[in-house]
Amino acid sequence: MRIDSRTCRACGKCIPFCPVGAIEMTPEGVSAIDYDECVECGVCLRSAVCPSGALFQDELTWPRTLRHLFSNPVSVHASTRVPGRGMEEMKTNDVTGRYPPGVVGIIIEIGRPILGTRFRQVEIVTRHLAASGLAVDASSPLIPLMSDVATGTFRPDILEEKVLSAIVSCDVPESRLAEALERLEEVQSRIDTVFSVGIIVPSGEAGKQPARQDGERRGYAACLSRSVSLHGKTNIGLGKRSRG
Amino acid sequence: MTHTLHRQGEYLDRDFVVLAMSAKGLNELGSADKLRVFLRLAEQFHPVNLGDMKSGSRFEYALEEILARVEDTSIVHAAFDGLPSVEAFVAELARADLGLSVVVTGDTEDVRQMCLRRLHRAPHTTEYSLGIWGRKDRLPPADRLAITSMCGHSLVSPRLVEKLLSEVRSGLKTPEAAAAELARPCVCGIFNTSRASALLAGCD
Repeated sequence: MRIDSRTCRACGKCIPFCPVGAIEMTPEGVSAIDYDECVECGVCLRSAVCPSGALFQDELTWPRTLRHLFSNPVSVHASTRVPGRGMEEMKTNDVTGRYPPGVVGIIIEIGRPILGTRFRQVEIVTRHLAASGLAVDASSPLIPLMSDVATGTFRPDILEEKVLSAIVSCDVPESRLAEALERLEEVQSRIDTVFSVGIIVPSGEAGKQPARQDGERRGYAACLSRSVSLHGKTNIGLGKRSRG
Repeated sequence: MTHTLHRQGEYLDRDFVVLAMSAKGLNELGSADKLRVFLRLAEQFHPVNLGDMKSGSRFEYALEEILARVEDTSIVHAAFDGLPSVEAFVAELARADLGLSVVVTGDTEDVRQMCLRRLHRAPHTTEYSLGIWGRKDRLPPADRLAITSMCGHSLVSPRLVEKLLSEVRSGLKTPEAAAAELARPCVCGIFNTSRASALLAGCD
């Protein structure tokens, strides 16, 4: 995204809309975008707040196109055909069987909330997980960006690209969940951003224990106790397969 | 994608999002019409927000405009500020038998009990939030984060919250009007304006 300094009226109305604070007033008295910090989410332009039309989307070329793909939820990844930066994950598990009983999905969204991330930070996480035998989901939009999937290493030309977030998902057997989360805890002190963590599990048997007790029975109560809240996402099982 | 997860702060007991989508290659073809039915049904239960990730929310567009842009690959949402509306909507969705996957974000035990009451079976799959890890010292204050985290794509800026909070305090805007402005950057329609109003009124 760019601001045409010739037409900017220096009203500053666009400044608060930028989620990553990349728009500032310059000493020359016009609004300007820090191009290295801008994640190409498009919020400033969509807000239609500029009275002079000074904001404009410049042509993005590789690897900057990744910023748009991972930050603007209106964009769709060719590999997933899902709008946004993630995958279907548990949302269609009632149809896909993506997470069968006994398998726990770990969803790590790096850069969320609000701080964003460079792919260099994402690589710190993927390399650490790979070294622990935890592979990134093969259908993830991150996979085509890796030069070595086995080690979780990204192409060097994308490492400095900044995005609002990137999602690392991996599957583990229930029996390895606690260990996987311990590996993830180790990486916290090594990165310069935040990440939000979710775990995907079966909802439990009908009429049986509430989630926390069910977790205890399955051996991941310690994981649930890390959560500040049991506010979560529930696939209520209304999906059905059809022909296409 | 986990865009309705990881909501933070107070009043989560009045914060629910219901979404529907098709599974690519499995029940995708022709699903746009069913996704439109979802949105029309949702509208009957007075959601505080509604939208399609590809088309925008009702704080940007009229319902008919959103419906016209829904595609087979869309993800449609409706946000509610109370469980009774969600429960009535889910019962209607079950009757409509659309065959799409439906996910309810909210207190997982409330949702589980709702499924037992209305669908007479336990839900299928749950995703729990284990919270935020890493450099939490770099984040905005918790009461601001409670507002921004209602857009899971992080499109609601902390600076915009500060600006609108300042306007509320100086009497230029009501919390409700400020919440409606904050909802605009959230293209999915999952920003809960009712809860945002309450949070704005309680910010330090």
